Order: sequence, then C-alpha cells, then structure tokens
Amino acid sequence: MIAMDETDISFFKDGLRLDGRKADELRPVKIEVGVLARADGSCYIEMGGNKVIAAVYGPREVHPRHLQEVTRAIVRYRYNMASFSVEERKRPGPDRRSYELSKVSREALEPVILTNFFPRSVIDVFVEVLQADAGTRTAGINAAAVALADAGIPMKSMISSCAAGKVADTIVLDPMKEEDNFGQADLPIAMTPSGEITLMQMDGGLTPDEFRQAVELAMKGARDIYELQKQALVKKYNQMAEPGKMEVHACD
Amino acid sequence: MTNVISEIKKDFIYNLLLKGERIDGRSFDQYREISIERDVIRKAEGSALVKLGSSQVLVGVKMQPGEPFQDTPNRGVIITNAELVPLASPSFEPGPPSEVGIELARVVDRGVRESKAIDLGALCIEPGKKVWIIFIDVHILDDCGNILDAASLGAIAALLSTKVPASRFGLGEDYILPVRDIPIATTAIEFNDVLMFDPGVDEEAIANTRLTIITTAEGNICGTQKSGTGMLRPEQVYRIIDIACEKAKEIREKFLEA
Amino acid sequence: MDRKVVVPGDLLSEEAKRSGEGTYIRNGSVYSLLYGLANFRDKINVIPLAGKYVPGPGDNVIGVVKDITFSNWIVDINSPYDGLLHISEFPKRIESADMSKYLHIGSSIMARVKDVDPTMKVELTLNDRKLGLIRVGRVVDISHTRVPRLIGKGGSMISMLKKELNCSIFVGQNGRIWVHGGAKDTDLALKTITLIEKEAHTSGLTDRVVAYLKREKGARS
Repeated sequence: MIAMDETDISFFKDGLRLDGRKADELRPVKIEVGVLARADGSCYIEMGGNKVIAAVYGPREVHPRHLQEVTRAIVRYRYNMASFSVEERKRPGPDRRSYELSKVSREALEPVILTNFFPRSVIDVFVEVLQADAGTRTAGINAAAVALADAGIPMKSMISSCAAGKVADTIVLDPMKEEDNFGQADLPIAMTPSGEITLMQMDGGLTPDEFRQAVELAMKGARDIYELQKQALVKKYNQMAEPGKMEVHACD
Repeated sequence: MTNVISEIKKDFIYNLLLKGERIDGRSFDQYREISIERDVIRKAEGSALVKLGSSQVLVGVKMQPGEPFQDTPNRGVIITNAELVPLASPSFEPGPPSEVGIELARVVDRGVRESKAIDLGALCIEPGKKVWIIFIDVHILDDCGNILDAASLGAIAALLSTKVPASRFGLGEDYILPVRDIPIATTAIEFNDVLMFDPGVDEEAIANTRLTIITTAEGNICGTQKSGTGMLRPEQVYRIIDIACEKAKEIREKFLEA
Repeated sequence: MDRKVVVPGDLLSEEAKRSGEGTYIRNGSVYSLLYGLANFRDKINVIPLAGKYVPGPGDNVIGVVKDITFSNWIVDINSPYDGLLHISEFPKRIESADMSKYLHIGSSIMARVKDVDPTMKVELTLNDRKLGLIRVGRVVDISHTRVPRLIGKGGSMISMLKKELNCSIFVGQNGRIWVHGGAKDTDLALKTITLIEKEAHTSGLTDRVVAYLKREKGARS
C-alpha cells in the first residue's frame, strides 16, 4: 500500500466512493456545443467539478509563415488554466505541465484529423480550464473533439477521453480530486469509438493485471463519453432545425 | 491576424450613422443586452460571468494572505490581471499580455481602486507583516466588442459576491467582503464626429478614438481613459461624461444593487 | 430521400461505391468525415453546417484587397488561402506603379478563381464583363456551406430572388453576396438571404421564402 497523506482518507464507505459513486461510475457530464460567437467551433463541458471550454479556429493562415507545411495543415493545441480555476491562485501563463498536456492532447486528436485537406494552414485548438477538479486534460480533449466537429473540421472519427485510477487497491473510473491527489495510480486515455488509443499516460504503481483492468475501465468510460458527445452535437443540430428559431448557446 | 475591413462596409456604417442609425439598430447611447451571473466558479472566492451582447467575460476573485507593500504596511493589496486568451478572438495571440491587455487590466483596476470600493485598511491581518491580497483575474471568453466595460462589470460583480476565506488560513470565520461602492465603466467611441456607446466588433474596428468613463454610485468620476489614435474636442468629452453617468446609473440599478 | 444528423466517424453504408462528399471509405464501408446532415441517395453526401471555404477553379468570389505587391493584388477571400490577382488579369492594361489607383487596400471586387495549384496558390481574374470593382450596393456574409441552397437546384432559388426583389445579385462561392437595387428592395433582399442562411438545412424552404416575400412586399404597398 502506498503511503498516503497525513489526512489518512478512507476512500470507500459501504462500497461507495467519497462522492457517492460506485467504482465504475463516471461523474456527471454536461456538454454544450457552439457557445462562442467569434470561434469557428466551440464546446463547453462540465465533468464533475471541472468546467472547461474549448475553441477551434481554422483552418486559417499560419503566422509566422515559416511554420507552415506545404502538404498539410499543422495542428496547434494550447491548454491553459485560468488563475482562479484552482484552490491556490495560479500565476497566469504556461508552465511545464501545460506544455506537456498541450503536446499529448494535440497528439490525441491529430491522428484523426484530415490535415492533408488543407495544405499551408493551421488548425488552432484552445482549451481554457475555468475550474479544475481532477481530470482537466481529459475534459479538455473531450471538449476539443466536439469543438473540432462544430468547426466543420473533417475527422475520421471523434476522440473521447477518460481516466481510471487506483485507490485503496481498487481500480476506479474517473478519479475525483482526493482520489487523484492521494490515490495509488492515475491513468488517462483517449481513443476513437472503435477503441484505437491516441493518448495514454500513467503515474503511480500498477501490476500488469491492474494496468489492463484500468485501461479497460477507462475505455468503457470513454465510450460512454462518446455517446454524450454525439448526443450534444445531434441536439444542437435539431435545435437549429426549427424554422425561424435561433438558439444562442450560453456558457454556464 | 485581423482582416482588412472593406471600404464598402466602412461606408455603409458611416452612411447609417449619418441617418442616425447603427448597424444593429441600436441608438447611440444604447447598451446591448447585459446578463450577470455570480458565483459561477466555486473554487474562486468570488466570480461573475458577464454577457454584453455576444461578448462574454469571466472574472474570478481569489484571496490569500501575503506581505504588504513596503510603503503601505497596514493596507491590503489588490492585483488585477486580464488574460486576452486566444480562444476569445482571432486577433488574440498566445503569449505574455499585450499592451491592449495590460491597459484593460489597469483600467479595470483603476475603477475598483479609485472608487475606494474596497477598504484596504480593513484587510490588514498583522500590521507590517500580513495582509489580505485580492487577485482580480479577468478572463475574456468571447470578444464581440467592448470587453472593457464587460470586464469592469465583471470585476465589481465578482467582488460583490466574494467571501473572505479566513477559515482556510486559520484566521477566523469566513465573511462577506465589504464593498463600499459600485464603480461602473462606460465606453464610447468616436467615428467621423459621431459618438456611440458600447461599440460592437465592427464599430470598434472602424473607430479611431475611445473614451472610457468610470463613475461611482454617487455619480462622481473616479477614472477615465482615452485610447486610440484620434482626437476629441472638449464638448465631445463633456457629452460623453453626461451620458456615461446616466448609463452607469441605469446599469448599476438594474444589475448590481440589492 | 433519407436524411440523418451524423458526426465524424459514423458508419453510413457497407457499400463503398456509395461514398460521396464528406465521406471516406475504410475496409469497404463508408463513414462520415463531418458533423452535418447525411443525405442518403445513390451516393451518400454529408453536408456540414460549418467549415472554411476552399477555392476551386471557376468559382465566383467576392474579395477585399488586403495588400499590393509589384505585380499582384493580394485579396482576402474569406478562406485560409488568399487570392492573388495578377496585374495581367485586370481588364485594362495598367502600370505596376498605378495598381493602387485602380484597386487599393479595402477595395471589394467580384472576381473568378482562375486556377488553384497543389500548394493552394489561388489565382484570380477580373477578365469578364460581369466581374470588377464593387462601387455600389451592399455585400453580406453568409456561411459558404449555405451558398448551394441560396443558388438552388439549377439556379432556381437565386433566379426567383432576382426577379421578385428586382435586384442585381452576385453570389460568391466564398459566402459573400453582393446585392444592388432600390433601398427597400435591397433591405428585403438581405433579410431574405439571412433567412435562407438560417434555414438552409430545413425542408420546404423554397415555399417559405416565396410566402415570406409575398408578405413583406404586400406589407409595403
């Protein structure tokens, strides 16, 4: 058993986790499509206490010019946390963590984007974490995938992301803050609906068997999230289908 | 990364103005629809999401104890920052704050500070050693024009909903931050001798000059900022001030009092 | 004719030959590339709601001059790609030094895409009587994805509009539309174009537009 913080939390009570969930339950998810007027595509997502907004601009001209590629669009992803998104106010601007998250998130989405349709251009993805509650990178990727679809970017498939963790020797789905901070392992993944993995990270300690269990559980979570992403997109389209009705989507 | 505005569009806007009309049908001193939602970010001590037309600005207030400035050892500290994040506009670039972003933060700060809305003396914990630091962080989400007024509204709305997190630092019970005034910023632009309040995105793009007036609950002026490369005559300034006071009063009464 | 809202990656058919626009083939099956409306005919096409305009040869476009070089006007055509109007594609023979006298920064033009090369170099031309500098009228922006609906099958919608509204209309494939007529007619034209843009993806639109125009024109007299 990995030594925990001095607060010696007991993660399970009567088989339920600190927030009342079962081991394989996702936190509540809310997805809104097209919440920004200036961006080409946008999505607001709440996953548990996470509040994240993603916007896509592009394809558009690349600045500075020397970054452009002759045969395809480049994809840029910028993950950023608002100063007020965490308990102790964060200094604005990128840090090493956000650079790493930006890179792996971009690599989670790029495999499905048809960049060869748009030579010499850039597809910019911007993710702002407005409130953080463990799992901001997965929330960001989920919102970004929806924003890309909303912007009309051609993709082979959607991408959905979810994490699994280990607390009190149990594999759990979608760790919350305390489980993330004081648990034994954290494993976020991203994948296509057919199960091709585009992001996988892990820290902590897992036996090979536990690792397999965690991956399977995270993939189940990602599949459930895919259904919610699709629902949100279809819902937006149907709302627009009412002749004469104009929906203005608000950021919560 | 901003597009060139076509002459046709400029002419169209100008011709409408000559007829006394704006592109979205508003009158010259009319504000777009405003909505203010408070307490949207639980983790922040105070927060507000302001929508001004399609512009959206989120302001978060965080508080923590810290060291006072050397020249004001018994007064709390206010630090105002604005992030013009690239998701809000095709013309915002990632990177350190631009002069536009810094100016916005400083003008929002001016409103809060010069109106004495927060009693900095009451934020002293241990004279000379420990005071409350208030961080006002403006996060622009969607720039559809006049994000300055929206940010300023957001700042005071967030402060009005702020709870001092004393218990987290062993300094007693949490309490509502006392706010003594409600400064409101109102911005007008000038284009070919016509003055317009609450400019939208297209109007901002063609205007040369902008004047922001910040007024207090008593109707006094506690801050102004002229920006842009154009010029204003004194009578234009006075006209803007008259309308600004009126507008600020309307907005204050409708959204922030009670 | 079956229609369905789809998202990228949705399976549309197991017959590869039915792959149309906005779709791709994998392992013999057809999948959607886009978020939009899938139209199930002989071929399955997916019409997106959003997306950037990518110029194709022969397209009519409305552009705004954003820069001038020694021999080209650089034109913003509301696309990730700028249009290049070479001095030789101007209908009159002019000197390089005089370029800005004819078309300066901010000028709007009705042009045609002459050619697009594999690196997306877009060449424009003004060599046609129907093309040139826009001096009068209004230009409105709509999403380029709605332009086909605005034009209609065989041009039916746009011809109807030109007739009913008594206006000259130039439709840019890049989503920019030029309208010129009497003040009230132009206003109504723009309102109608906005209506069509909002409801482009619905059925029964043509009838609604005809009814709308009847109402509005009736209200005037």
